[in-house]
Amino acid sequence: MLTNFIAIPVMLVLTILQITAVSRIVLFNGRADLVLLAVAAWGVRERGKNVFLWAFIGGLLISFTSAMPLLTPIIPYMIVALIARIFQDRLWQAPILSLIIVVFAGTLFQHIFSIALIQLNGVNLGFLQSIQSVTMPSLLLNFFFLFPVYVLISDIGKWVFPEENYE
Amino acid sequence: MKSVSPQTLRSAVVVFLVVGILFLALGGFLRPVLGAVMDPFVGAQRWISERFMEVYDFFTLPRDVADLLQKNSELTDEVSSLQSQVIQLQEQLREADVLYSLLDFARSRPQDKYIASAVIGRDPSPFLHYIIIDHGSDDGIQHGMPVVTQQGLVGKVDAVTASAASVQLISDPGSVVNVRLQNQIADAQISGSVTGEVTLEMLSQNSEIIPGEILLTSGLGGNYPGDVIVGQIVETNTTENELFQTALVQPVVDFSALRAVLVITNFNTININSLVPTAAP
Repeated sequence: MLTNFIAIPVMLVLTILQITAVSRIVLFNGRADLVLLAVAAWGVRERGKNVFLWAFIGGLLISFTSAMPLLTPIIPYMIVALIARIFQDRLWQAPILSLIIVVFAGTLFQHIFSIALIQLNGVNLGFLQSIQSVTMPSLLLNFFFLFPVYVLISDIGKWVFPEENYE
Repeated sequence: MKSVSPQTLRSAVVVFLVVGILFLALGGFLRPVLGAVMDPFVGAQRWISERFMEVYDFFTLPRDVADLLQKNSELTDEVSSLQSQVIQLQEQLREADVLYSLLDFARSRPQDKYIASAVIGRDPSPFLHYIIIDHGSDDGIQHGMPVVTQQGLVGKVDAVTASAASVQLISDPGSVVNVRLQNQIADAQISGSVTGEVTLEMLSQNSEIIPGEILLTSGLGGNYPGDVIVGQIVETNTTENELFQTALVQPVVDFSALRAVLVITNFNTININSLVPTAAP
């Protein structure tokens, strides 16, 4: 039960950090996504079954702060949560490897989803240009922030589940 | 007549001699003599003093080191505190500079009413170029209001909450602003892109594009007030076969370093959708 409640303050803090600080750290035109990283890091944990709630809360908070169509940011985070659970089942002994794969696949899905959504709203982004100038640098930045976020989420996990010490 | 006693005479001679020597000394005539007499004494005194201080230091140094360490620690703390104050003051000074610049701009356009707002965030999506400001509907900010800085046009308010608002920058891929060239009678549009590049479009082939030419808002469409500086043409991309000319534009505002903006509150956007002709059924 505590893990469900802990998602709210964690995601709130990460969303505030995302819009105030991390969004200002730009590599070419790419930016890291702390919420995606947190969802992925929680999802690859053995006891991270409630990751879909984390994804929903994170997506909800991001959708309130973003100019993307309302509630649509929830979808890619739910998909990231799903990918994380799938990889957790298959690669449970290698959470870091799972995490890297989840972040890679999740970032790609999230960006393709965003490009498609913006194009549907009548704005021509240019698919290849967006992938080259936004998605690739964003992937690099996500990998850069991956391990600090993983350590943070692991510490929260150990605090919530004190008996869990295999990582 | 009473004769002067030899003792009185001796005393008078001594007084005259002392006064004379004093006058000579005050007049500087005895300096070489005094120097020659005093220098060995001064040298000896300096040598003794130095040796004494060395001995004194030898015995008192441990206590002084402790004192010095304590003082050093106190001073280090004080320096840290002062450095922190200096950083805070520099930050306040920078903010004050920005606000003074905005105030100057507001004074240069007295016909407009402004609300100064701090930039408190950016859109989390890397595909969108929006900023979040710290004033909202409680402060009188409404959807569509133009946003400027002392340099020029920033964008327009896109979404408003009670205490914050989201501003679409002119570099956003969904942004289109009607502009005119400063030195020619020619209207065009600028639009943003996912990379933040701003492009001049829809400029007639009859107009001559000169790199360095300033672009101002034209006021057409009713979304922005007229005559606000937007940017400068950097590079032309003219092709004879196309209907319109295009060019790369350098916005005057550095969107990555935005700290504070002015929202023009007395500009009413005009919705011209009802005037746009639609195809007959």
